[in-house]
Amino acid sequence: MAKYIEKISNALKIVKHNGGIVGTYLGLYRRDDFKWGTFVGEDKYGNKYYKNDYFFMGKSRWVEYPLSVGHDYDASQIPSEWHRWLQYIADEPPTQLPLPHRPWMADHTENFSGTSREYVPYSTTRPKVEAWVPPKK
Amino acid sequence: MLRLWPLRQISRLQNAISLTQQACNKSSVPAPSPELVEVFVDDKQVFVEPGTTVLQACAAAGVEIPRFCYHDRLSIAGNCRMCLVEVERSAKPVASCAMPVMKGMKVKTDSPVTRKAREGVMEFLLVNHPLDCPICDQGGECDLQDQSMAFGSDRSRFTDNAFTGKRAVEDKNIGPLIKTIMTRCIHCTRCIRFASEIAGVEDLGTSGRGTEMQVGTYVEKMFKSEMSGNVIDLCPVGALTSKPYAFTARPWENRRIESVDVMDAVGSNIVVCMRSNEVMRILPRLNEDINEEWISDKTRFAYDGLKRQRLTTPFVRSGTGELVPADWESAFVKIAERVNATDGDLIAGVAGGQVDAEALIALKDMLNRLGSESVCTEEKFPMTNSGIDFRSNYIMNTTISGIEESDLILLVGTNPRLEAPLVNARIRKTWINSDLCVTVLGAPVDLSYDYQYLGDSFELLTDILNDKHPLAKGLKEASKPMIILGSAVLQGENSGAILDTVKSLSEKLRAGSEQEDWKVFNVLHTQANQVGALDLGYAPGVDAMKGSKPSVLFLLGADAGTVKREDLYENALVVYIGHHGDYGAQIADVVLPAAAYTEKDAVYVNTEGRAQIGRQAVSPPGMARQDWKIIRALSEMLGVTLPYDKLSDVRARLGEVSPTFNHAGQVEDAGFFNLSDSATVPRKESRPAVQPLSPALLSLRDFYMTDPISRASLTMAKCVQAVDDAEKNPYSKPEQS
Amino acid sequence: MASAVVRLAGRLRSCARLVNTRPMSSATSAAGSTEAALDTVEPEHKDITITVDEKMDISSFTGVPDEHIKTRTVRIFVPAANAMQSGTFNPRRWRMEFDERQRWENPLMGWSSTGDPLSNTEVNFMSKEDAIAFCEKNGWDWFIEAEKKPTPKRKSYGANFSWDKRTRRSTK
Repeated sequence: MAKYIEKISNALKIVKHNGGIVGTYLGLYRRDDFKWGTFVGEDKYGNKYYKNDYFFMGKSRWVEYPLSVGHDYDASQIPSEWHRWLQYIADEPPTQLPLPHRPWMADHTENFSGTSREYVPYSTTRPKVEAWVPPKK
Repeated sequence: MLRLWPLRQISRLQNAISLTQQACNKSSVPAPSPELVEVFVDDKQVFVEPGTTVLQACAAAGVEIPRFCYHDRLSIAGNCRMCLVEVERSAKPVASCAMPVMKGMKVKTDSPVTRKAREGVMEFLLVNHPLDCPICDQGGECDLQDQSMAFGSDRSRFTDNAFTGKRAVEDKNIGPLIKTIMTRCIHCTRCIRFASEIAGVEDLGTSGRGTEMQVGTYVEKMFKSEMSGNVIDLCPVGALTSKPYAFTARPWENRRIESVDVMDAVGSNIVVCMRSNEVMRILPRLNEDINEEWISDKTRFAYDGLKRQRLTTPFVRSGTGELVPADWESAFVKIAERVNATDGDLIAGVAGGQVDAEALIALKDMLNRLGSESVCTEEKFPMTNSGIDFRSNYIMNTTISGIEESDLILLVGTNPRLEAPLVNARIRKTWINSDLCVTVLGAPVDLSYDYQYLGDSFELLTDILNDKHPLAKGLKEASKPMIILGSAVLQGENSGAILDTVKSLSEKLRAGSEQEDWKVFNVLHTQANQVGALDLGYAPGVDAMKGSKPSVLFLLGADAGTVKREDLYENALVVYIGHHGDYGAQIADVVLPAAAYTEKDAVYVNTEGRAQIGRQAVSPPGMARQDWKIIRALSEMLGVTLPYDKLSDVRARLGEVSPTFNHAGQVEDAGFFNLSDSATVPRKESRPAVQPLSPALLSLRDFYMTDPISRASLTMAKCVQAVDDAEKNPYSKPEQS
Repeated sequence: MASAVVRLAGRLRSCARLVNTRPMSSATSAAGSTEAALDTVEPEHKDITITVDEKMDISSFTGVPDEHIKTRTVRIFVPAANAMQSGTFNPRRWRMEFDERQRWENPLMGWSSTGDPLSNTEVNFMSKEDAIAFCEKNGWDWFIEAEKKPTPKRKSYGANFSWDKRTRRSTK
């Protein structure tokens, strides 16, 4: 009996976490997952980070991508300081232990492969043939 | 001599006996071959002709004797001593390159005496040779390097070097092609002998003796020869290396592709050295029938022209009249729009001299399917009388190796030294080794051998024909006379008269000759595949095409500037298919980039009528494609799809059109001399309007830049500059002309 | 028509597969039946030589893709001697070479790349017959390029000093 009560209570927590039945459905649609947890922080790109030690390690910290990216989300959108916490490299999230920012550190960029801003390799070798340029009139 | 007399008596007696035996037998057995001499090389018996050298006898026995100064095609010098071998009952080792064989000679090529002799010679050679193999361009293909590994000692007894240093010699500047590092020279004198014997210029020599000996030009000047590059090959060490190739590649990195040259109509056999999709250098390849083992400087050094001024993308002329880069499809669409709206009669094609046979047949087939018969070559050839109807009228009938049998050569309006340097080298070789007499009708140019200059007027030719000239008698008495007619004099107005006269004269000599199959008449072309184009049914010369005022014109590698915009219909569409941005591309409306000769498998027919296959060494640059594939793709766009998809299909089609293409590498004989002559109607009134019978190329300056590839070449431009500078050099011999 | 001579010794089973020229699909069953047949051969007859007068074609089981058997042409030739050297080792053998295929420039280093696995094969033979037999066996089309031999010339050292011939040398 207690088993069923726990399931129902978890379901209620999930619904609460997602902000209602519709939110739960949308969350399932985007993430294929039901979870509830405590809000840890948000980065400047709008990614929200949660944790819940109820789940086993590996599932206990997760990210919810902002709605603005739609379904085009991937792990490269997570900045490195949050990556550190999310992948259990560190215990403290950057909200608790901000990492020192050095002047040479570049801003985080996501992986643009498959988009119009993707990196296209080009030949770095000396051209072997000099092409003809038609004379200008 | 005295001591030998009994032997000589005996040999005479033997001769007498054999003669009487022959007389008695009266059989149909052919005369016995000259008596062969029995020689033993390392106890292996070989029979060689009397007079051959020990070195050649060893080669016949399959034993290679190390050598530096000896070269098969140069005279014997005998100064490097590397070829020393032990001969039984000889007190000292003998230099096998200079020693003629004697009966029963026992040669030991691997005995302790021989080995010690070689080791000693190698020790001397290395006393002053620098150990700079790692930075030497010859490294990896150096005779000295290899032979010191095989036959040399591992140490030297000459320890003075440690204190005095090795001999050092100042480098010489002998032009833009050959780099000299004279310290490396081992004084084999191969370059000197090549210059004076094969090239026929006495530019190189030695000065000083002993340690002070130097090879060079004595005063600083250019090594002025059209075949100077061959000394790079001949040099057994790294003293003479190629300037354009310097420090670019090592021999073991190169892939060697055996191909055929297109710089002149000789079709020299070459090896193209390729590394990382780039032509690194071009070397000669042995072919006794064509180029022996030499190539001209243009063949060897014009390859950098393949990397400049190249068409790498299609161009289409825009509304503002500028050529803008396009893709293949839009270029094809532009052509198709126009061609589909044009009557077949108003479409024409013009082919240049370096176009391969596959492209020629593809273009001709395509235009024929479009209803046009107007395909022609840029180079002219008289169409009067039998014209090009008989193949014997436009090829070199006696072949290049046939020159060696000839005893009298009449050159009409040609300067073979610059038009076909290897034909000239062959004439010079024959001139040296026999009593060949050369006479010239044309310009009094320097041919590198003595000749009798007759003059340059057309009347002289008719005089010879009508027995009014002293040469007529000489020609008649000659057993194998040759007449070589240059194609340059056939370019002018009314040149049919020249061709007819020369043909009549040749036919007279041929018919009167005792030699059954000796053909007298020869045409020396200057364009690589002119004979191939004529074989495939192209009309020579663009005059007829101009008359029809075409509205769509295909220029297939035509860069000689024979067609101008004014010759065409107003607003005509000009399509250029070729590999260089030269004249043709500039006047074209659509430019299609094609492959140069190192970038395609292609057949070329040389002036002898010998079809030869050139092989692909590198890939065409950028979007360029092989010529026949372009035309095949275009034909599909124009709705007249050509029936070949593979190279083998095109080759089969070539074989259908002309049997020449069926046996690559061999000369396809031409006959019907008497027929072609009887088809000649004598025309009294017509004689060439102008015309001294003068060739187009007169001085070495004209030689270097003659086609789109050599015009794009920096090396060739440097050569022209160097020749100009050499003219100002007070010490250089002014060129005759 | 190449004939395969097979020595029927202890290695008979493996050899039997070599002479089988039928396509792969039927090869297994054929091999099985051969093996069965071999077991019935009397021991005293095992050491005999048989000659199979049949064209040997191993292309069906060499593992070479069909494309590289049917569309390739082999050129059999005597490699040219290096003009830079006097050695004569190159022209003493026959070599086979496949037709050239597309190469392209590798954008990283500028070296040339190729998709043709046969482009770097260099197989040398003692005679052209060997080369032909090898090509036949592997099912490649081939053609022979005629060997180009130098013609030996008679030369004499004395010609350099000849007083009435053009062979007289100015430089000695």
